[in-house]
Amino acid sequence: MRLGVDVGGTFTDLLLHDEKGRRTFQAKTPSTPEDQSIGVVEGVKLICEKAGISPADIDLILHGTTVATNAVLEGKGSRVGLLVTEGFEYTLHLAKAWTPGPLFGWINMEKPDPLASLADTRGIPERMNARGEVVRELDVAAATALIDDLCSSGIEALTISLMHSYANAAHERQLRDIVAQRFPDIPVSLSSEILPEFREYDRAITTVMNDYVRPIMKRYLSRIEDRLADNGVTARLHIVRSDGGLMSAAAASERPVHTVLSGPAGGVTSTMMLSRRSGFPKLLAFDMGGTSTDVAVIIDGEATISRSTEVGMFPAKVPTLDVRSVGAGGGSIADVSELTGSLRVGPRSAGARPGPVSYGRGGTEPAVSDANVVLGYLPPVLLGGEMKLDVEGARKAVANVGQQIGLSPEDAAKGIIDIANEVMLGALRVITVQRGLDPREFGLVAFGGAGPLHGNAMAELLGCYPVLVPPNPGVLCALGFLEADFRNEFVQTYIRSTVGLDPAEVWSRFAELEAKAQTWLTEQEVTEADASITYSLDLRYEQQGFEVAVPVSAADVHNKGALTQTLADFHDIHERLYGVRFTVPVELVAMRVVARGATEPVEESFAEAASTDVKAAIIETRPGYFNGAWQDTVHYDRNRLGVGSRVEGPAIIRQYDTTTVLLPAHYAEIDAHGNILIWPVSKGN
Amino acid sequence: MTNATDTTTVDPITLDIIENALKNARYEMDGVVVRISLSPVIREQHDEFPMICNERGQMIVGQFGSYIPSVVEKFGGDVNEGDIFVWNDPYASKGSISHNNDWCVMLPIFHEKVLVGFSSIFGHMVDVGGTVPGSMPANARTIWEEGLRVPPVKIYSKGELNQGVLDIMLNNSRTPDMNRADLMALIAGCRTAGTRVKELCDRFGRETYMTACDMLLARTREAMRVVIRKYIPEEPVSFTDYVDDDGLGNGPFKMTLTISRRGDVAVFDWTGTDAQAEGPINFHIHEGLCKLFFGVYMIMSFDPSVLFNEGFYDLFEIVLPEGSLLNPRFPAALSNRLNTHTRFFDCQAGALGKFVPQLSMAAGYGTSPHFIFSGTDKDNKYFQLMELLFGGVPGRPKGDGFDGHAWWPLFSATPIEYIENYYPVLIERYQPIQDSGGPGLHRGGAGIEKVYRLLERGQVSIHDDREVVPPWGINGGLHGGTSSKWVIKNGETEPTRIPSKIDNLKVNPGDRVVFKTAGSGGWGDPLERAAEIVARDVRYGLVSREQAEKSYGVILTEDNEADLAATAKLRDATKKERGEPPAFDFGYTPPERQAAE
Repeated sequence: MRLGVDVGGTFTDLLLHDEKGRRTFQAKTPSTPEDQSIGVVEGVKLICEKAGISPADIDLILHGTTVATNAVLEGKGSRVGLLVTEGFEYTLHLAKAWTPGPLFGWINMEKPDPLASLADTRGIPERMNARGEVVRELDVAAATALIDDLCSSGIEALTISLMHSYANAAHERQLRDIVAQRFPDIPVSLSSEILPEFREYDRAITTVMNDYVRPIMKRYLSRIEDRLADNGVTARLHIVRSDGGLMSAAAASERPVHTVLSGPAGGVTSTMMLSRRSGFPKLLAFDMGGTSTDVAVIIDGEATISRSTEVGMFPAKVPTLDVRSVGAGGGSIADVSELTGSLRVGPRSAGARPGPVSYGRGGTEPAVSDANVVLGYLPPVLLGGEMKLDVEGARKAVANVGQQIGLSPEDAAKGIIDIANEVMLGALRVITVQRGLDPREFGLVAFGGAGPLHGNAMAELLGCYPVLVPPNPGVLCALGFLEADFRNEFVQTYIRSTVGLDPAEVWSRFAELEAKAQTWLTEQEVTEADASITYSLDLRYEQQGFEVAVPVSAADVHNKGALTQTLADFHDIHERLYGVRFTVPVELVAMRVVARGATEPVEESFAEAASTDVKAAIIETRPGYFNGAWQDTVHYDRNRLGVGSRVEGPAIIRQYDTTTVLLPAHYAEIDAHGNILIWPVSKGN
Repeated sequence: MTNATDTTTVDPITLDIIENALKNARYEMDGVVVRISLSPVIREQHDEFPMICNERGQMIVGQFGSYIPSVVEKFGGDVNEGDIFVWNDPYASKGSISHNNDWCVMLPIFHEKVLVGFSSIFGHMVDVGGTVPGSMPANARTIWEEGLRVPPVKIYSKGELNQGVLDIMLNNSRTPDMNRADLMALIAGCRTAGTRVKELCDRFGRETYMTACDMLLARTREAMRVVIRKYIPEEPVSFTDYVDDDGLGNGPFKMTLTISRRGDVAVFDWTGTDAQAEGPINFHIHEGLCKLFFGVYMIMSFDPSVLFNEGFYDLFEIVLPEGSLLNPRFPAALSNRLNTHTRFFDCQAGALGKFVPQLSMAAGYGTSPHFIFSGTDKDNKYFQLMELLFGGVPGRPKGDGFDGHAWWPLFSATPIEYIENYYPVLIERYQPIQDSGGPGLHRGGAGIEKVYRLLERGQVSIHDDREVVPPWGINGGLHGGTSSKWVIKNGETEPTRIPSKIDNLKVNPGDRVVFKTAGSGGWGDPLERAAEIVARDVRYGLVSREQAEKSYGVILTEDNEADLAATAKLRDATKKERGEPPAFDFGYTPPERQAAE
């Protein structure tokens, strides 16, 4: 049996899959931010009880964790020492020299301290050039003295990031050997191993970030393994990577920087799975939570992998699922600008404490959730009767905002929702139209606590149908983990013009990377049948600053022929992405090999007990505000809507972990997988 | 204000949605340009500026604005769907752009055959011809030396490319491939904005969209009116700062700004500014741009979320004396106007900051330092490295200035590993300059030192300023360090000082150029800065022990921890002797000619 565990800010969600019984069980326990492993183990105990199994029956635990992300965002990582090339001690301090726009953007800029202090940085006498040739020999005596000084100063981890080490790692390795001999207990990361790519600041900060979270991750993973063992769990533990792949707990301790977007990865992975299963090849993942909304594009059941992301103000160049995040969620606060009298929503958030006004925990400023309460979209009682909402309080707070701009409470509430939708629309536009994709060819998967409240409205704006609300949107991330593949990337930077390039230079490097990938697959115990390897080249027009990943077939890699087809593909992809092609020479930047180990899909059989008679599913009829007027709106119990049911909008569909709003002129149907599909009535049927 | 007398109004929510959508479109323009362009100046350093205008050419969202009506007028209204305009001549476009390197693209946006707006972007081309690589000769006396001048022309007419114009433009550049790609990037960015505006018209109705644009202008105007009323005193306030020199040995050049208020209207009067320079530091600025710069500064200081647009232009009155540095007569040379451009901002901060604490920023590194290295490599291939450097970002009410960061928005440093992959140089050192950040309660940012070892024979051009006149401190903060440039010949160890504005300096393999930029002024009394923070700056190598004691009154122990008792004693004594700190610390006495005025 496999168990998916997703630790969120408020709740830890678990999903257990019994392959033989074709059953799943879900559980939810409060997260324990002071030590996430406590909540995880509580959840494991709870779900074993629910499923009536012994902890020893679990074979595999797949865990998405925000331990690394939180350490960086909260500035609570380890004390990291940093060795750089002499003359470049201030690489992290100067960063990219960037200040925000527009003019005078620096007036309000805030910049956190670098992840490795200048006091813990040493310049090593040595230098490579861009071709990997030694320009200045490594001064071993001087380096040893500097290492002794730094490593005995109380640092917890050490990063070595030298100029052009992606082209020649010899000096970095020599330094590591010196450290290993003299300070065997200090963990060391080499930039040439964590990120063998050019651009010194990106490489250094990514490697430092790895060390910054490494001791914390190591302690966390050993704690969780101990606690699980104490409770009779014998399962292997795997950690979800930012790119949605899996890595062993041991690998995660070594390279925790690969987990900085572990959390949102689950939602995207499960959207990929929904896409494959439901037969909608193009989907947008729309994960709306309390403080932010994450969106991603799925095409042919696959998400794009991005080569870089940001954690707070710091860039991290690691493969991540291409997720775009905006500061608008259910907890985003609405207020009116003093100077212009315009209504604004977010990025300030009420968070979990005090939370929206309607939660009755002391919040006074109206949040997006409060607007949903005012309009009758959120019922007065949530979470299966456990949580009562303060409807009057929400209405008063929203009315107060409305008064300042001369709107009724209803219109102000509608306005707050519309503006939040517009902000989220900006994010969806960035990942679709801005990349040459037409959103009208996509469906939209709404999940997260607030996603199904807003999904229909987003679809109406973008024209992307159907809106798909999965059966258990609250545990969708945990479900995604269960279906995640083993995945790792192997990269080599090699910057050369393709004009006059001997293709053998490319193929021989691919062969080296492939060998590494094979070794890794073996280490992860992936069987040959489940293993696969793909290849791509990062190409660009000479001197362009951004690369385009061009897939290369295994046949081409093994035939070792000319690069003609790959180059033709590059021009096509560039034109599709950016609308132009040039006749300037094409440049090779890097080779990439991706290794995967496939995982068995989660198979569930659905109880056909619920009927298609929707009348039986009616809870009550309450007023809801649609199209500028209050209307009697039927509230349905989702659990009683059987496969094939059809509900006409406007309506509200309620369930334990979320609420779905069905707008007028739309209908919802339950498909064979238990998903709610929302379509506009004009589409027929 | 020239709003259409339309009786329709748009509900506040739709208005906010359109505002958000236009902001998104404007950032999408940036995204498109940066992805496609080839030159590192646009791509890595973001030297490009987009905007979206209404049908009257008023900027609704963006950073510049105001020049479109004059272009439309020039074509007698012959503006059609599919037309795309391009130009780079500051004189033929009333200072919409301020030197020939900036190529400006503009296109009209039609919705169902009705003109609904314009989109426009200008970006810095690496080379547009002229007497030196990079097209910014430090010793130019006229604009004829600064490369090809293109007046507003249609590069596309009703969708059809005018190949002749394009060929002429590219044929006059040392870097035609790069310019072609960069121009196409600017065009693609403008087209993106066009598509978005059309979609908004489809979604909300054209009338609603156009009315909303007017309302956005009115809304920003009202915000600005409140701010002007509240913060601009009726009594005139003056501030004077100086540009070092014009590259021909003349200088320093005085710039004086006097601000006052008459009712709702703020008056910005540059009378007292020196006559135009013989060299290329003249800044031919469009009056509308002056207004925008003042407005953006106020908005950023008081409420950064207010949309910048042209709505408030009638609330500003600008006086730019003809024949002065800021309103030069044709054909004065313009290419190195950035020194004057930045000093414009310094005067603005000094004058506004005298009375309003929220507006008091110190002076920064004061220009956009350039390093250009060109030549022909072993394979007989022409190379031209152009890099913008940064320095100290000013001490500010919010906190310290940044060391070696960009004063200009969204600019970023080109990675050294990138430069070394493409150009025959090896960077030996890249670090902040100790003690160059002006001491203050909030320390000014430090300048940076970059040492280039040149690996091929070639020539070097340098443009910088604040070598003579340091960046001043404010509210008791002290001035920051000045810039300097040095050459160390191959095999030698002694550096030779070279001017901050120089062209075609011959260099040989192994020669080194040491490029030091200016820091910035401090903000607030340095004697009030926490001693532990001063000690940390010493441990970080950003402040010397000597400066800690002399300027901050902080005594350090041997291992650079603050000695709090000794510090308190020294600070008390220093404060007694000094009294209240002066509002400004210039660290510079102007020559007699200037002082006498």
